[in-house]
Amino acid sequence: MSKLLEIRGLRARIPGGREVLKGIDLDVGAGEVHAIMGPNGAGKSTLSSVLAGKPGYEVTAGTVLYRGRDLLAMPADERAREGVFLAFQYPVEIPGVNNMYFLRAALNAGRRQRGQAELDAQQFLKAVRERLKLLDIGDDLLRRAVNVGFSGGEKKRNEIFQMAMLEPALAILDETDSGLDIDALRAVSDGVNRLRDPARAIVMITHYQRLLDYIVPDRVHVLADGRIVASGDKTFATELERTGYAHLGDAA
Amino acid sequence: MLMTDDSAPFRAAFDRLRATADEPVWLTTHRGRAMDRFALMGFPTRRQEAWRFTDLEPLTAAPPLPAAAGDGDLPTPASLAPWLLPVATHRLVLVNGRFAPALSAGPVLPAGVWLASVAETLRQRPDLLDGAFRGRAGGGAEGGEEAFATLNAALFTDGVVLVLEPGTVLETPVEIIHHITSAAAHARLHIVLGAGARATVVETATGGGAGWANTVGVVTLDAGAVLTHLHIQAEDRAACHTAVMRAVLADRARYEACALITGGRLSRRDVAVTLAGDAAEFRLHCAYLLDGGQEATLSVRADHLGLGCRTEEVVKGVLAGASHGVFLGTVAVAPGADGTDARQLNRNLLLSPQARVDTKPELQILADDVKCSHGATVGSLDEASLFYLQARGIDPETARRMLVEAFAVDAIDAAGLSEPLADLARRHLRRWLDGGAS
Repeated sequence: MSKLLEIRGLRARIPGGREVLKGIDLDVGAGEVHAIMGPNGAGKSTLSSVLAGKPGYEVTAGTVLYRGRDLLAMPADERAREGVFLAFQYPVEIPGVNNMYFLRAALNAGRRQRGQAELDAQQFLKAVRERLKLLDIGDDLLRRAVNVGFSGGEKKRNEIFQMAMLEPALAILDETDSGLDIDALRAVSDGVNRLRDPARAIVMITHYQRLLDYIVPDRVHVLADGRIVASGDKTFATELERTGYAHLGDAA
Repeated sequence: MLMTDDSAPFRAAFDRLRATADEPVWLTTHRGRAMDRFALMGFPTRRQEAWRFTDLEPLTAAPPLPAAAGDGDLPTPASLAPWLLPVATHRLVLVNGRFAPALSAGPVLPAGVWLASVAETLRQRPDLLDGAFRGRAGGGAEGGEEAFATLNAALFTDGVVLVLEPGTVLETPVEIIHHITSAAAHARLHIVLGAGARATVVETATGGGAGWANTVGVVTLDAGAVLTHLHIQAEDRAACHTAVMRAVLADRARYEACALITGGRLSRRDVAVTLAGDAAEFRLHCAYLLDGGQEATLSVRADHLGLGCRTEEVVKGVLAGASHGVFLGTVAVAPGADGTDARQLNRNLLLSPQARVDTKPELQILADDVKCSHGATVGSLDEASLFYLQARGIDPETARRMLVEAFAVDAIDAAGLSEPLADLARRHLRRWLDGGAS
């Protein structure tokens, strides 16, 4: 079966700065949930940024194929329209841009790219209501400007809600658990679990094993000093909890 | 002072206009004095502090002159349609500064309301304009804008007069369209609201060619009167636009102004508001959106004389291309004007490395018990916001447009306009974003 995402020998740095990714190899298949763990500074967020096309990083070597296409050659907006979704660690507040207006523009941009008809206001609202129900979210978030005045938990739930609306083939969740209390973590995790789908891959980047109690991954990888130094199945996370990352870093 | 020959072409135009005009002798006399005053004054120069950022060259090099009556193509109802409020209004269209009855319409005026062209008012109710052209309304030192006001006094062809008797509420908005072709239009606006009266006035400046709109507005609000004033300035980019607005507010009067400035190669709006009574309030929400080689100056002076008056100014600038925006804001609090609460904020968004902005909010405080703040910012579009939008599939151009619209629309939303007015302003903002945003 062809992989949804194939990363080979990926190296990246901040222009003029140090190398952060030092040769990443990773395969993710449709329907799979992968967790990427590792200590601070290992390159986890850089990996998600590079995959999403955030400016400010320079890929110096390696390839990333998404559905067999060169992902790195696509601008960020095209990647998103092709089904790559990044749930931000720090969702950005955008005063003056209404959440609904923004989301409808985003959704219809993707539909245009796929040759589908755009949703009119009524169809869009119907889709919104279905997803809100699925994720058990109130509709008050929608009337506000994008992320403005949202609590940390609301911002993360808004990311998952956007994911539910945009229905990506590949979702990268960057530290979606950070800053959440236990109730918010459970709510966000439930949302992600409901979005698991045989056609969708999810890559979770996290600092804490805790998230994996709620969203059980198929594969767990440890990223240390810019490389994936160990991989395993879901039981591997529990083992890591016991042994820590340090010995893996040494081995690498 | 050096004698300049600024006035020579205007003097000739003045003589031509007077030869055909039919108006009271006192007015002709007044015009003549104004013409003489302008000859002494000339246009302001960049040596004057309040004019050092404004480049008048596009106007003064070859100033457009007033058209003879009937010159220039009349706009059609269809060509005006995009500029009109979507509700019933009392509409007065001025073409090159002359009232165009064929394009004007409106329901029957309620009792206590006088609304007509200046020419009509001079014929039927000259008493309403008694003293309106003598001296100058408003306080403060005489600045360079007086040259434009004086030239207008000498050359004005027509205008609009709105007078409300005390306690009168005019629900239907007054809609004034200033349409210019490639000529100069010197028009006047006189608004007098009696105690407790309320009115809404929308002024839209359209047309252009290489014309010049030079408007003078005089607003007098008696105790408790409320005027909502939306101004949309949208002439072609070859045109010049100058406006001198003066308002005097009595006790508890409220002047709520909102302006959207997008038109003209050169524009300058001088607003002077005197809060003469106690507990008067002046609110100004404005956005200037410029592109190409456009330059716009907004100069606002609020003189606080009474007790417990409020001024709130929020001015947003969006500057693309090689445009140049200027905000000059002064709040002057007179001795004894205690309880003054004044806020001035000018925020600017530079969309290109060639765009420039000069901003100068100032406070002159001579009273003890006041609450005044002022601030100015200049920045560019937020990269993190741009990436966030793109990471959701929105293309960079649309993302930039969304952020610019969000920045500017705030000036309209915060003005608290009624929906038809806010809708008109938002429509115009989108028109600019569609055509002007680079």
